[in-house]
Amino acid sequence: MKHVFNDLALGVRLAVGGSRKSWGRLALQGVGIGLCVAMLLLAAALPNALDARDDRGDARSEMTEGDGPAPVLVEEMYVHFRSHDIPGTYVNVRAQNAPVPPGLERLPQDGEVVVSPALAQLLASPEGELLRPRFPQKVIGTIGAAGLIGPHDLKFYAGDSKIAEDAGTKVYGYGRAYQRMGLDPVLWMLSLVGIVVLLFPVLVFVSVATRLAAAQRDRRLAALRLVGAAAGRVRLIASGETLVGALTGLVFGIGIFLAVRPLADDVPVPELAFYPGDLLPTPSLTAVVLVAVPVLAVLTSLFAMRRTIIEPLGVVRHQKPVRRRLWWRLVPALGGIALLASQFGDSGEKGTTFQVVVIAGVVLLMLGIPVLLPWLVERVVNWMRGATPALQLAVRRLQLDAGTAARVVGGVAVVLAGTVTLQVILASVEKDVVSEEKRDATHNFIALTPKEDIDAAGLRKAVEAAEGVRAVHVLDRTYVTQPDDRTTSVSVGTCAALKAQADVTDCVDGKAYLVRFARDMSEVRAGDAVKTQGESAWTLPALREVPGTSPGIYLTPAAAKGLDLTDSRPQLQAELDLAVPDAAEHMRNSVAAYSWRVHAYFVGQDDSAEVELIFASIRRALLAGAVLTLLLAGASLLVMALEQVRERRRPLAVLAATGVPRGTLARSLLWQNGVPLVLSTVIAVGTGVGLGVMVTRVFGAEVAYDWPGIAALTGASVALVLAVTALTLPSLRKATGALGLQSE
Amino acid sequence: MSIGHALLGLLEGGPRHGYDLKRAYDERFGHDRPLHYGQVYSTLSRLLKNGLVSEAGVEAGDGPERKRYAITDAGVTDVERWLGTPEKPEPYLQNTLYAKVVLALLSGRSATEVLDTQRSAHLTTMRDLTKRKVDGDLADQLICDFALFHLEADLRWLELTAARLDRLAQEVRK
Amino acid sequence: MSLLRAEDLHKSFGKTHALEGAGLTVRAGEIVAVMGPSGSGKSTLLHCIAGILAPDSGVVRYGDRELTSMTDRERSELRRTDFGFVFQFGQLVPELTCLENVALPMRLSGVKRKDAENAAKDWLAKLEVDGVADQRPGETSGGQGQRVAIARALVTGPKVIFADEPTGALDSLNGERVMHLLTTAARETGAAVVLVTHEARVAAYSDREVVVRDGKARDVEFAR
Repeated sequence: MKHVFNDLALGVRLAVGGSRKSWGRLALQGVGIGLCVAMLLLAAALPNALDARDDRGDARSEMTEGDGPAPVLVEEMYVHFRSHDIPGTYVNVRAQNAPVPPGLERLPQDGEVVVSPALAQLLASPEGELLRPRFPQKVIGTIGAAGLIGPHDLKFYAGDSKIAEDAGTKVYGYGRAYQRMGLDPVLWMLSLVGIVVLLFPVLVFVSVATRLAAAQRDRRLAALRLVGAAAGRVRLIASGETLVGALTGLVFGIGIFLAVRPLADDVPVPELAFYPGDLLPTPSLTAVVLVAVPVLAVLTSLFAMRRTIIEPLGVVRHQKPVRRRLWWRLVPALGGIALLASQFGDSGEKGTTFQVVVIAGVVLLMLGIPVLLPWLVERVVNWMRGATPALQLAVRRLQLDAGTAARVVGGVAVVLAGTVTLQVILASVEKDVVSEEKRDATHNFIALTPKEDIDAAGLRKAVEAAEGVRAVHVLDRTYVTQPDDRTTSVSVGTCAALKAQADVTDCVDGKAYLVRFARDMSEVRAGDAVKTQGESAWTLPALREVPGTSPGIYLTPAAAKGLDLTDSRPQLQAELDLAVPDAAEHMRNSVAAYSWRVHAYFVGQDDSAEVELIFASIRRALLAGAVLTLLLAGASLLVMALEQVRERRRPLAVLAATGVPRGTLARSLLWQNGVPLVLSTVIAVGTGVGLGVMVTRVFGAEVAYDWPGIAALTGASVALVLAVTALTLPSLRKATGALGLQSE
Repeated sequence: MSIGHALLGLLEGGPRHGYDLKRAYDERFGHDRPLHYGQVYSTLSRLLKNGLVSEAGVEAGDGPERKRYAITDAGVTDVERWLGTPEKPEPYLQNTLYAKVVLALLSGRSATEVLDTQRSAHLTTMRDLTKRKVDGDLADQLICDFALFHLEADLRWLELTAARLDRLAQEVRK
Repeated sequence: MSLLRAEDLHKSFGKTHALEGAGLTVRAGEIVAVMGPSGSGKSTLLHCIAGILAPDSGVVRYGDRELTSMTDRERSELRRTDFGFVFQFGQLVPELTCLENVALPMRLSGVKRKDAENAAKDWLAKLEVDGVADQRPGETSGGQGQRVAIARALVTGPKVIFADEPTGALDSLNGERVMHLLTTAARETGAAVVLVTHEARVAAYSDREVVVRDGKARDVEFAR
């Protein structure tokens, strides 16, 4: 046992040998593994962060059951402002010791409001100018973090003593614990894919970083063999060396994690922004990371040494490695394609099996890349003959050792493929969403739904007076119950009013229309006997199906003959002049006094810019992640290239001496770096696009390609090859000097 | 090896008695075979007859051992010619070569040149042997190789000596 | 008529003065041995007159051209076309087969692959190593490797072959064989050979010798 520790310690001693080079290698390993560790810690912190959000959500939710008079009466209403939907709670405090929701010092009285920091910021900004009229109250404070889900939460509490007591307004306290459903199995599965796609490159890079400067290490170990260390002990010593790198990586990783954590609340997408304090890695997962990374590092370095026989007089690599077989390497990729293809066009019930199949397909296809790549690199370089001397030198070199290069670029390929897949999926989804938003944006009606019986005439007058309002129409809205017990909304109004909700171009009085639900809508047929809210019977007239913003039955007054409308509620449809900038906001401001009593929803809000912004930031994040991994791969590639130049110093010097131009040697380096990376990029982009298309097809969406993104990635990997080669040139120059001849 | 040239070389340092000459010679070159007095005086008288040395005076007392000898100009020229002529490359030369190197150093001449000249002569012989070897049959090759290896050994000794000339010079002049 | 002439070469590496006024003349077709103890600067002299190293001062003339005033690129080209090199070891590209190694200089000069490899095959046969044409250098013996290297040095029909301790890593018998093949081939093609060696038996294959000592070359013949 003691000698085990001695050997490990010797390895440690060798790793921190003290020369500048060994420190440099250690730093490179530390950064490489550190980045991976930071990523893993972030993942390990997610469960806690999500829990913390849920906990705070629970803590501020209202308890509506209780004895005696309710201390607080509450009305909730969204304030819509451009693309923001701001949830508001209007409170009527009736008791001295009324419970206060978390994050507040006290509940606001009449004319007072408490806002979240993000809302306060919005109100104070020039952008919030049109929002300010809706908050005439005095701001008496901001909501603390305890009362908010995330740092970008928009939320307010306002006082209103006119809220009347009824079944829906009574609140006795806060902190209703909702039953946690656990993660939705589908979400769980999706996270699994994400983790596989994310973690796979991490694992690859841990192993690549571990093997930085492996040839140099092998030479050191050969020297140890010469002085009498047995093969087993050499392995132990090597493990010691690797361990140092892995531990350095852990330290770096924790440092990077701690350095990045404070930035978590600066993420521009509100849903992805966390309070830094919430990002606390779960102890169990952290333990797994802290143990798994060193173990993995040691295992991969031992695994990599499996083909290397370290003899006292040097390192023997199996000169002719076993020719790689194709068939088993094809299994994962083909399996993945088959699984995905089996789900094509199946737009019916999408159950759990479906999800499992799709996800298994994606994972298999991803795994297929690094499995297939070594075989492919080997075949391609064996097939290449080398048209120019430079290419010949590179190809011959790769033929001798295609595996190492393939392993390095294998990690890149998975990242690239994953990124391209997500890019294709994103582009497809974005195209869908944005086009819907664009279509909605031509809609120029704002729907005003009063919450209780209010002075309809006064409201109408206020609306009509607002800037940019052309006309106001009224829809009477009610529900009918179908024979199968489902309910359908029914709206009755003039043709002008119906236009607010549906494309009724041929409207004359007496017509009836149907706007279908996107899917899953029960059949609504003419002649069906339905019941109104007042339980009176009515028979559906002939319905013409039209597209519209809100599903339901739309009737002109003549078509609604005989329909009992006593329980109906009026909905005002304000027709806006879209030429007036921010007409919707002006109109909403004109009814600000109604606060929670009127819900003003504007279908035509053009969110496309917002949506594009979100997609753009996701795309940027994706690209940044991909570039980061590429850089990591570049670093490994560089170390590999430098080492090769050093190893082949003498032949290179002789070549230069015999008059081989340096340019030829430099080009051979370029090819040597470029061939595997170009191959892997082609494979990755091909797989990524294919996978993206398949997944999009599976979900029945239209396929779109993010060519600029794909081009950026491809360009980045080409640039990487050039950069790595350029950085290798000084050492090539040094090696090809006459000193290279003299040293030995 | 030529005792006459050696004695001439020793006399270049200044006139000496025959007895001194024998001692100096024995010290430097005669470790295993000291000179007899007879050899010394017969050689000196030959040199005297050839005009390479002259008698530089006799001290009080009897016998030839009381005579002092000095080198003449003709004697110096003779030493020079001797040092400048390579020995015929053949095995077991080291006595002569060594004497030449030491005497060159003693007289402040270039010992390196002595060595270079000798190397050149050796190489010329070796070239001939190599040519014969290349053109000849196996027996020729074996015979030539024998000679080549011996000559090479000589040359290696020469190289070694050349590399140690500085130390040798120090010791010789002590 | 001298083919290659170096005068008063000086070269220092840091504080080490490798050459201090060395000179050398090589006539067309002759074999000159450069001798001297190790560290005397004979390799540096070879590198300078072959245009691999630029001397600090002094002039190297090749025919009517001045090597010492040529650019790195021009010297590279000259080395490729007019000179051939044989070193002690490690001069073959380990990844290329022996045939490809020999064909490499011709391919670099733009000869078509097929023609280059045919010429290479002829030379391998002449040097009695056509059997290892398709093997990589690591799979051949030391003597075979040196013969392949000689084939590579000769394949472009150079005017001068620079050989730096070509037998240094070989035993006597293999050394003799390699020297015999090298000098015979050089004489057949009329190439001059500058042979750096510290071994007299190897130098005996030369026409004359030059001794380098303490950074100065004594060109015995031309000094006279």
